[in-house]
Amino acid sequence: MRKIIELKNVSKAFDGQTVLDNVSLDIYDNEFLTLLGPSGCGKTTTLRIIAGFEQPDEGELFFLGEDIAALPPHKRNVNTVFQRYALFPHLNVFENIAFPLREKKVPQDEIREKVTEMLRLVALTGFEKRSVTSLSGGQQQRVAIARALISHPKVLLLDEPLAALDLKLRKDMQQELKGIQKATGITFVFVTHDQEEALSMSDTVVVMSEGRIQQIGTPIDIYNEPKNAFVADFIGESNIVNGVMLADRKVRFSGQVFDCVDEGFGKNEPVDVVVRPEDVLIVPKGQLRGIVTSVTFLGVYYEIIVDIGGFKWMIQTTQFVDVDEEIGLYIEPEAIHIMKKSEYSGMFGDYSSFSNEFDELSDAESEADE
Amino acid sequence: MKPAAKVYTALIMIFLFAPIAILLIFSFNSAKSLSVFSGFSLYWYRELFRDAETLGAVRNTLVLALSAAVLSTAMGTAAAVGIFRLRSKVLRAAYDTVTNIPMINPDIITGISLMLMFVFVGRLFGAATSLNFWTMLIAHITFCLPYVILQVLPKLQQMDASLPEAAMDLGCTPFRAFLKVEIPEIMPGIVTGLIMAFTLSLDDFVISYFTAGNGFQTLPIRIYNMTKKTVTPKMYALSTIIFFTILALLIMTNLIDTGPGVEKQEKKERSAASKRRTKLAVAIGAVLAVGMAAVLFLGAPKKPVLNVYNWGEYISDGSEDSFDVLQGFEDWYLENYGHEVEVNYTTFASNEDMYAKLSSGAVSYDVIVPSDYMIARMREEGMLLPLDFDNIPNYQYIGESFKNLYYDPDNLYSVPYTYNFTGIIYDANRVDEADTGDWDLLWNPKYAGQILQFNNSRDAFGTAQYKLGLDVNSDDPADWQAALAALKEQQPLVKSYVMDEVYNMMESGEAAVCTYYAGDYFIMADAQAPGVELSFYAPERTNYFVDAFCIPTCCQNKELAEAFINYMLEYEPAVANAEYICYGCPNRLVYEDGAYAEDMGEEAMEILYPNLDDFGEKYEQFAFRNLSPDMLSTVNTLWEELKIN
Repeated sequence: MRKIIELKNVSKAFDGQTVLDNVSLDIYDNEFLTLLGPSGCGKTTTLRIIAGFEQPDEGELFFLGEDIAALPPHKRNVNTVFQRYALFPHLNVFENIAFPLREKKVPQDEIREKVTEMLRLVALTGFEKRSVTSLSGGQQQRVAIARALISHPKVLLLDEPLAALDLKLRKDMQQELKGIQKATGITFVFVTHDQEEALSMSDTVVVMSEGRIQQIGTPIDIYNEPKNAFVADFIGESNIVNGVMLADRKVRFSGQVFDCVDEGFGKNEPVDVVVRPEDVLIVPKGQLRGIVTSVTFLGVYYEIIVDIGGFKWMIQTTQFVDVDEEIGLYIEPEAIHIMKKSEYSGMFGDYSSFSNEFDELSDAESEADE
Repeated sequence: MKPAAKVYTALIMIFLFAPIAILLIFSFNSAKSLSVFSGFSLYWYRELFRDAETLGAVRNTLVLALSAAVLSTAMGTAAAVGIFRLRSKVLRAAYDTVTNIPMINPDIITGISLMLMFVFVGRLFGAATSLNFWTMLIAHITFCLPYVILQVLPKLQQMDASLPEAAMDLGCTPFRAFLKVEIPEIMPGIVTGLIMAFTLSLDDFVISYFTAGNGFQTLPIRIYNMTKKTVTPKMYALSTIIFFTILALLIMTNLIDTGPGVEKQEKKERSAASKRRTKLAVAIGAVLAVGMAAVLFLGAPKKPVLNVYNWGEYISDGSEDSFDVLQGFEDWYLENYGHEVEVNYTTFASNEDMYAKLSSGAVSYDVIVPSDYMIARMREEGMLLPLDFDNIPNYQYIGESFKNLYYDPDNLYSVPYTYNFTGIIYDANRVDEADTGDWDLLWNPKYAGQILQFNNSRDAFGTAQYKLGLDVNSDDPADWQAALAALKEQQPLVKSYVMDEVYNMMESGEAAVCTYYAGDYFIMADAQAPGVELSFYAPERTNYFVDAFCIPTCCQNKELAEAFINYMLEYEPAVANAEYICYGCPNRLVYEDGAYAEDMGEEAMEILYPNLDDFGEKYEQFAFRNLSPDMLSTVNTLWEELKIN
């Protein structure tokens, strides 16, 4: 695969506050790459540096091997879909999409042909003369995508393009975006804080936190083999407990020794142990025993919190249990994932203060921050 | 709506629009009066379009307003963009505050400070006069700028910040992005700013008044200067035209600025509207360019210019089929001296206004027409040049009685233009003939509640002093105390203390007795309502005053100025002026002329020219002279005491 964009040791600060800290990233041809992270993690800044709206303080930016760090936005072969679309209200749908072509003085016939083709691609045929302000959010989104794609950029940058849409529409647009990316073969760099969106759409996910890249990988890698506690917690739900690697494929945590599939750690090395809630099975006599402290019915399954030796675990199960019931738990060796200790160790993966409401609240906050 | 709400709305509408309705109605009045509508007529409209001075002022006002509006909109938009792009919040707040200062600052302070600056800078560069069209334009831009910024800045703040970024992303340079995306977004603010600046400039008086230079007069200043006599109904016609023009403009802008209401055709209209807005801006720009070019040409005439500074409505100007004296002078000069000359004619509203303008040093005039006491003061202060009477041979026609008067005892500095005196005007239908003749009529209890007294201290005290046989120029406070006692005694009988309102109250018969100037009696008598029979007499002892031509030290062309004064004494212009102004004329060619006497009528001749032999004697004895500053403040204190009761 051909490397299109390469960021090398890029750093950026605003008013003395570091936003990007030594970020290096390769983006390949025909790839759907997602920058994923909570608000303030530097993902949008990374995107704006690629687009040319911000200059890196340090580091280099290459486009097809050429250093473009000093090139102004209008000379870069990338286009952007903005979070709130940034359609030009004084122009109609046709003229919005035709805007880049008019700037390039493309002949009228060719403009008409290309805009018509674009409108077909985003399923808005017949909307040419409509005012952009009279369109629904989803329709505006499509116009923005058509406008950004009409000059066939090498790379399309999308800055949380679905954040303003409601859930149902967002799911449809996810499919549609993926379809457009496949049909055009253009590299998409997609920014989101929604991990589900990232997992379902991307070829490559880049997890960022505090201006640094935490992990780069396929969605499956990221989910199954998180590199540290931050990634494990941010992507899905995780129970993260302290453990000690006794030998290859032998780990001790919660006072018990478990079989696992990881190897290559030092003898008696302290590690973080990750167990996904859906991988903990309730059995009559398990390796671990705990007291149920809360039960929440979520339709397909129950989400229960179990106190095991003072540490609260989250478990997803279809089996009904009662609060205050003592239950036995079993974890398969394949379900245990071992991570090296990191700066995030001990910060995540304990559900003692967990509640659904709290989680939603903090989600809403992080969205409002963007 | 509930009935009470309906009534309330109706009242508000009446309150808002009644003045305009009255203006509109009386602009079509065939007579001059404000109290009687004597029939529909377009007379005043015809007169308006014959009045070159007023049309010139209208043109000046429009050129100034357009230039100021376009320039301040361009500068204000640029400034707003600059302020908006500032990264530092502190700096931005500072700019915001600085921008707001000219708006909070009272106009009068802005006006005075601008004038001072222009004069200072002008002196620095050694200019003889520092106020002109350009300084006025700078002044207007100064006070329009903050309003434009205030309209444009919020539009920038409301704009989605990613719009210009999107444009750049799609291939625009930053400047193209500004043109193609930001400008259309903030266009409503720019257009509103332009219209606001235009209207602000159009009706500004105070700042214009202080920064106006020689000969460049705007409409508000011209109307203000008409107050020596009454404002003519021509101005009602002009105001009506301006009102409807602005109304049309307003309706047009509202139509262009289609709100979100029209959903169906919205898209079409929006893009069309933005095109129209651009066209409008371009059109205004073009008009401005042409206008500026015109002003530049007008501003630099090849022929010599004579700057005349006179009272408003104080020269025969060709209106109402009269002789156009200024045109006449230009023709006469060409004929007698063989080259062209241009008269730049400007008006003032009072001696004090004129004095302030001249002593500011910012203007230069060649001929001025001050009143007697002001001539005395300016002569003492060295502000007048002695006249070369070889250049004014027509001075021979001035009646002997009008020479060697106190303000110019040796006839060195002035040539009298008009004279006038105070008298008593009464409605003969209501006032007994036997009660007339002297000042006592104003104290006659038979006419209680029908008497009008002057609303100015010197004239009001004068009536009492003449009645009591006291010296009007006395420096003995006791004399003034005695006069005050008389005025207090009269107070219960007085309907009100008036100045310009006197015309309307006498014409309509609202009051029966007043004291006012002889020349103005004819205006009232012309416009009196049916059933009112106004009459005039001048008591033996009364105030006489003279207005005379003088040449100030700032004069740039003395011989030309003297030629002008000489021409004003020629038969044709002198008669025309005397008939137009209706004041007494000290020129023998006029008052001894049969045709003039016939035009004026017997009554007017008797009133204006009673017995000129002892004019000088009476004038010396009874005319108001300058009081010492101490006396003036005493008089003002006593006047306040009277008015407080």
